[in-house]
Amino acid sequence: MSMFWSVTLNLLEGFGMTLTLFALTLLFAIPLGLLIAFGSMSKLGKTFYRKTSGSEGKEKKPFAVYPIAALCKFFVWVIRGTPLMLQLIVIFYGPGLLGYDLLPRFTAVLIAFSINYACYFSEIFRGGIESIPKGQYEAGQVLGMTRVQTFFHVVLLQVVKRIIPPMGNEIITLVKDTSLARVISVYEIIWNAQAYIKREGLLWPLLYTAVFYLLFSGFLSLLFGYIEKKLDYFKS
Amino acid sequence: MSILEVKDLYKSFGKTQVLRGISFSMEQGEVLSIIGSSGSGKTTLLRCLTSLERADSGSITVNGKTVFDPAAGVKLTREEARENQLQFGMVFQQFNLFPQYSVLDNVTLARRLHAKELPDYASRKKQIIEEIETDAMYLLDRVGLAQKAKNYPCQLSGGQQQRVAIARALAMKPAILCFDEPTSALDPELTGEVLAVIRSLASQHTTMIIVTHEMNFARDVSDTVLFMDGGIVAVKGAPDYVFGEGATPRMRTFIGKMG
Amino acid sequence: MKLTKRILAGACALLMVASSSMLFTGCSKKEGDDKEKTVADIDAVKKAGKLVVGITDYAPMDYKDENGEWTGFDAEFARMFASDLGVTAEFIEIDWDNKTFELDSGAIDCIWNGMTIVDEILNACSVSDPYINNSQVVVMKSDVVGNYADLASMTELKFAVEAGSAGESAIAETITNVTPVGTQGDALLEVASGAADACVIDATMAAAMTGEGTSYADLAAGAVLTEEEYGVAFRKGSDLCDALNKYMDKIIADGSLQALGDKYNLSVVTK
Repeated sequence: MSMFWSVTLNLLEGFGMTLTLFALTLLFAIPLGLLIAFGSMSKLGKTFYRKTSGSEGKEKKPFAVYPIAALCKFFVWVIRGTPLMLQLIVIFYGPGLLGYDLLPRFTAVLIAFSINYACYFSEIFRGGIESIPKGQYEAGQVLGMTRVQTFFHVVLLQVVKRIIPPMGNEIITLVKDTSLARVISVYEIIWNAQAYIKREGLLWPLLYTAVFYLLFSGFLSLLFGYIEKKLDYFKS
Repeated sequence: MSILEVKDLYKSFGKTQVLRGISFSMEQGEVLSIIGSSGSGKTTLLRCLTSLERADSGSITVNGKTVFDPAAGVKLTREEARENQLQFGMVFQQFNLFPQYSVLDNVTLARRLHAKELPDYASRKKQIIEEIETDAMYLLDRVGLAQKAKNYPCQLSGGQQQRVAIARALAMKPAILCFDEPTSALDPELTGEVLAVIRSLASQHTTMIIVTHEMNFARDVSDTVLFMDGGIVAVKGAPDYVFGEGATPRMRTFIGKMG
Repeated sequence: MKLTKRILAGACALLMVASSSMLFTGCSKKEGDDKEKTVADIDAVKKAGKLVVGITDYAPMDYKDENGEWTGFDAEFARMFASDLGVTAEFIEIDWDNKTFELDSGAIDCIWNGMTIVDEILNACSVSDPYINNSQVVVMKSDVVGNYADLASMTELKFAVEAGSAGESAIAETITNVTPVGTQGDALLEVASGAADACVIDATMAAAMTGEGTSYADLAAGAVLTEEEYGVAFRKGSDLCDALNKYMDKIIADGSLQALGDKYNLSVVTK
């Protein structure tokens, strides 16, 4: 019994790190994701397109270059296209290998996770924002609302409603992905459980971690179900 | 003085010329219907007037103030642009109600947001909101939907949604109320209730521009009918004239097709 | 269509070749530089006031006592060396796969963890003189261990080894049915669970973790495969390496390394 409790306490301590990493990643990844989403929808550079298509725009095909959008999309491609583990290693060891100061381990993990998840989130946000009919913005405009007012008072909640299911998926994936932090020695629940295998040949603590993950992801599922239900009152 | 004066308006999308020199004017209290086949440019004209599109050239003068004339270097400040925006109300073909707000909130939202800019908003908040809601309830009553004030758009029929959209546009007290094919998205049995509301507005001399395919309605309710064809004003005048002696052969074909 | 595909494929291949060659030249160049240069780690360590020691949980070299403090032969040895430098030792448990990253990036100052001296380590790091003699031993269920005297008699058995370990190389030529696992502890677990018939681990670990009174009471060490030595790894060219060698000469001479070896039942080098 005392063994069971000491393992439980030890895993709880690791799970504390898991949850801290989870919560802080969300805190940074959501606004950053929104920023990247706006960046990849940016139409900045359209002026350049107007000039090249000529005064009358007769026969030339429009060729639009949106540098900010291109940059954001390239960034998202790189981050989504490479393993998170690789990003962790590059962000933590990279500066040291190039002769700069290292970031603290937790900071490096947090940066890698926030950037990685921001990119996934940004695509969900972009999809959600682009799925809102143009008419909603136009209705806001003809009522004399500013673009910012229209976004926050009209569009945002509709976007939220649409992105809740895919965000739920990503966020539950994040809970489990936090275990990757152990490759740069940020000790979370899986690391603590694996220590029992290394040290004492005990396998059950590792299996026991499933209980922690299941309980927490169960809680998140309930939370997302609740939000979905709360937003059920309107159709968009 | 005309409430609206449009001169020589041009607009192209890429290499397609949609408006090719539109000129007309209208008076306070006048009801102007714009008819024409799809692609004739009538919706684009309406969207240029309501600042949803920007015309390429020409001029637009509202209440004596020139709000669009690139050749003369007219450039509105942000504040002027918004003031001009509010001169025009707009009712869309697809209603474009805000789905997450109740009927009442759809009508009051924009005014509540604008009210926040009033200098005495903080001290008179409660009173101001009350005023806005009283106005909104009056307008909902006018379109016959006061009892639906607490409902959400998804709980209403298309015709009811369009009536809410009309109330929402009226709430901003526009000088000119514009309709972009207000009944085209509706089932035939629901068009009547919307047309009835517009008719009652006409009887109270609300200045309106109505882009429509409802020929009988246009003939019935309008002071002036404007037939657009290929991006120009082909015929303009009183309904009897436009549908009678003034009708060009192309217009006769068009009316024939519309039944 | 075909042409564009071919052009695309060509461009991709070029890109890959270019990037990988850059990677390789980058690496080799760096290595070359490092060989000539002496890295002044002693000053840096003294300035920081601590020697950061990369370890894993690996009894009896590095493990936690009841109070959660790191102890073991290597932990004590590292503390002795650190205090000789006038700093404290800070232990960081690392992912063994990332040990050279940890070292090269400066996240740790040394790898001090019962590390067998092999060519790959010698290429990547500066390694101290050996301080412990170790061997790779075969561990299996104690009731059958007597039946197998040498590797030749074990060709039919299923083996588990730590991926990339000295044990893996020791059996690579003779045994075909080999499952690489994450750690030596995992390898023991494979045998205990019956998933493998035998595993190859360090004799030091086998002594600490198998037999009566341990978690693996029914396992026992059998055939000895290779003799090897433990060393401490530093950054290539680090002046800490020389400092440790000198310090070792001193504690070999005064017998304190021998005393530490006796405490943990390990055979330390005597000269």
